[in-house]
Amino acid sequence: MENIKEETIHHTAMKLAEEIKNLSIYKSFYSDVQKLVSSPSVKKEDFKQTLQQAMKEKGLDTKLRNTVFHWVRTQNKQNKLDPLTSLSKASAQWEKRIHKSLNSMCSDLETSLAKIRSQSEQEELADKWNELSTYSLDLSKYRPVYAPKDFLDVLLTLSGYVPFTKEDEPKWEFAHLPLQVKTLDQLRKIYQEWANGEPLLGVNPNMPSTVPGFATLEAERIGLGERVAVLGYAPVIQEYLKKGSPQCLRAKLWSQVLGADVKQQQIIYFNQLKKNVLEVDLMIDKLIFKDVQLTASNDDQYFVFEDLLYQVMLCFSRDGEAARAAGASALRVAVKGRHAPDCLIAFPPSGVIPFHGFTMYATPFCYLYDDPVQLYFMFRAFYMRYWHRLHYISTHPQGIVSLCLLYERLLEANEPLLWIHFRNININPIRVVFKWLMRAFSGHLPPDQLLLLWDAILGYDCLEILPLLALAILSFRKENIFQVNTLQNVDAVLADLSTISVIPLLQLALMKS
Amino acid sequence: MDKGRVTYCTDLEKSVIISNFERRGWIQVGPDDEWNFYWSFTQNCRNIFSIENGYRMSDNQIINHFPNHYELSRKDLLVKNIKRYRKELEREGNPLSEKTEIMLPNGQAVTRYLHLDFIPVTYVLPADYNMFVEEYRKSPQSTWIMKPCGKSQGAGIFLINKLSKLKKWSREAKTPLHPQISSKESYVISRYIDNPLLIGGKKFDLRLYVLVTSFRPLKAYLFQHGFCRFCTVKYDTSVTELDNMYVHLTNVSVQKHGGDYNNLHGGKMSIQNFRLYLEGTRGRSVTEKLFADMHWLIVHSLKAVAPVMANDRHCFECYGYDIIIDKTLKPWLVEVNASPSLQSTTHNDRILKYKLIDNIVSVVVPPDGIPDARWNKIPSNEALGDFDVLIDEELIEKDEAPLRGNKFNRYRS
Repeated sequence: MENIKEETIHHTAMKLAEEIKNLSIYKSFYSDVQKLVSSPSVKKEDFKQTLQQAMKEKGLDTKLRNTVFHWVRTQNKQNKLDPLTSLSKASAQWEKRIHKSLNSMCSDLETSLAKIRSQSEQEELADKWNELSTYSLDLSKYRPVYAPKDFLDVLLTLSGYVPFTKEDEPKWEFAHLPLQVKTLDQLRKIYQEWANGEPLLGVNPNMPSTVPGFATLEAERIGLGERVAVLGYAPVIQEYLKKGSPQCLRAKLWSQVLGADVKQQQIIYFNQLKKNVLEVDLMIDKLIFKDVQLTASNDDQYFVFEDLLYQVMLCFSRDGEAARAAGASALRVAVKGRHAPDCLIAFPPSGVIPFHGFTMYATPFCYLYDDPVQLYFMFRAFYMRYWHRLHYISTHPQGIVSLCLLYERLLEANEPLLWIHFRNININPIRVVFKWLMRAFSGHLPPDQLLLLWDAILGYDCLEILPLLALAILSFRKENIFQVNTLQNVDAVLADLSTISVIPLLQLALMKS
Repeated sequence: MDKGRVTYCTDLEKSVIISNFERRGWIQVGPDDEWNFYWSFTQNCRNIFSIENGYRMSDNQIINHFPNHYELSRKDLLVKNIKRYRKELEREGNPLSEKTEIMLPNGQAVTRYLHLDFIPVTYVLPADYNMFVEEYRKSPQSTWIMKPCGKSQGAGIFLINKLSKLKKWSREAKTPLHPQISSKESYVISRYIDNPLLIGGKKFDLRLYVLVTSFRPLKAYLFQHGFCRFCTVKYDTSVTELDNMYVHLTNVSVQKHGGDYNNLHGGKMSIQNFRLYLEGTRGRSVTEKLFADMHWLIVHSLKAVAPVMANDRHCFECYGYDIIIDKTLKPWLVEVNASPSLQSTTHNDRILKYKLIDNIVSVVVPPDGIPDARWNKIPSNEALGDFDVLIDEELIEKDEAPLRGNKFNRYRS
């Protein structure tokens, strides 16, 4: 038994060693090690020991560990063929619809999906790059391709709608899908620290600390967080984030845990994306501009950052690496003005057609980074690990379909009266929370609360907290919900989340009463 | 007096004010009737206190202005009072008045107060014209901002960066800049803060609300909800932009007519979000220092005018403090408004102003709900609402400064 285990580890280590050679950090890492070897601290007689020791001192040890950590995390995300054919069929159909819509928008507006930008346009865009809110475009005829509502309608058809049903049988339950989701008790095992009632930063930062030398919990967390940040070891940071991060340390900790640090290489990459934006005009650019204008620019929490957001969202659309995450089939279009053989490009290179509100996946990072490159890589890291799951149809346990099902199950099991109430007033309960789930609450919670929620997503590396929070909010406001009986009025009860304290609400739900 | 018969009078017919009074069951009366609580225009308040009037307020009457609030709210008098305050501290040998040498960008060294340098160098024109020219010559590349003393809402303000422009203006305004000839319209000219802190590339100023219920002893309260007001157009330092007031001025009245003004957010960002942003991007200690410096600035501006304010027990006043922060995270006092606008530009704004009035009333009215000029003016924690105690000299004196609300312990000395 031991032998098999050892062999597997050996096998993985060999594979890892090979794959590391292909990673972008390899070259500089290898040369750093070479420099160390030629230094006096590494001795020929005791090569292994002294090299390992020297690597530890120079932080190369941590770097290697972090690389392994990130590699292991991405391995689990390998896209296998989706086992549920109804879902994969629905997914393909939905993508086809989006592409069709784009094409017809394009022909209606008599423009091309992709074309080379004129020299003067390139210059103007480059000139105004840092203040694209002043770049005037006529966007009046452009409309977002789809909104969360449209996506929800597609998801609702997934439930294997059976045309002949009895009067009282709901036609829309996700429960009809053969997907496994957790129960509240199982969630408690995952969010163990919360369920045990351990002190969380988001509950009461001023509560007295149990650790000598610190007056408050907040001071204690800052002290611990600074040490964790210096150590720089990603799994430790992830563990730390479970109990919430002080705002002053978030920028550093988040980028370390996702491996989104910005070095010269990243700056060059970003500038290449910018170059792509300047050179080729994709119709999507207008949709991006429109989305920033409609969402971030109108939001009193984020309007200040609009110029940063234009840059980030435009560059993101040109980033082929993002396409790997979603595994979506991108449209291939001809670039007007370019000749074969390389006149075809993926439209867009990121494989992501933005929908209404897509910008909101990026807006909260503006409270952590004021440099566009850092902002970009942080947003991209989050998108590639989490956000893409919220707008693609799949059977993944963290995907939006599973999250909807989880929400449904949690509501039915833990708030049965609410569940019945929704049935009685003929409202599908997913309708009132879907936009929260699809946007991971961005734009619905104030930034300080949102950042605490996203700490938890990072700390536990899972999105299941989103439907749990939706349930907790509904539960908190249930008395008001019982009083109303139209979708409009339920929406009104839930419209303003500005007074919600997210972490105490969640902890309450997770602690056994 | 019976709680059910409290009366109010208001010169400002706005729902944000009236609803707060009606909610308490107060009855509206006219200014000539027996009012207990008067939300007045500054002019009417001055009239009540004028000697010719002969009006004596009863113990159960309180009013929302101090009769000579202009010592704080007129730009020239504010500057005069602060300068006088600093000189007095210097004469006393108070360590607060310590001075230091600062290097200007052009290499020139100037002397500034180390702890009390919170207003940009300012001169009153035409009286201080010669002093201004002397200072101007120390850094001739600098920009200065001219503001009429008596106006508000950004009216009549303009920038100059050449002495010749000032002379040109004085010729055109038919106001000779000769010290001997006094003019009705005086101006202040201040060193323009040309390196403001930008967020998202946009310039902003801060509006903070400060309630004062007494000047001697000083009792001041800071409202937790302030906001940053952003320019709708991108900040640009090129000379051609000097004349474009939509870029530099952040007064909402001026911004409202700029093409890109937005009604959903009104160009306003809450001070809580500002703090969150600063802490997230710059760290905790510089953020805490900035906020401490702003509180310090407010307290000392109030201490500066305290000796000259008519400290009538019937009065309280809510000031709108306008502060600009520069790139080094140093706050500068731009102006103090004695009648901060209660107009609401957005939904959030309406809520904020409603809360502000509500908390003002609960702070200034004694616990039994009946306005009384004789009460001890020590509001309970609950009555404070969303106000924090900025300074209460009476409590400091008694060494009873409360733990909650008085986070600003620097003023105990």
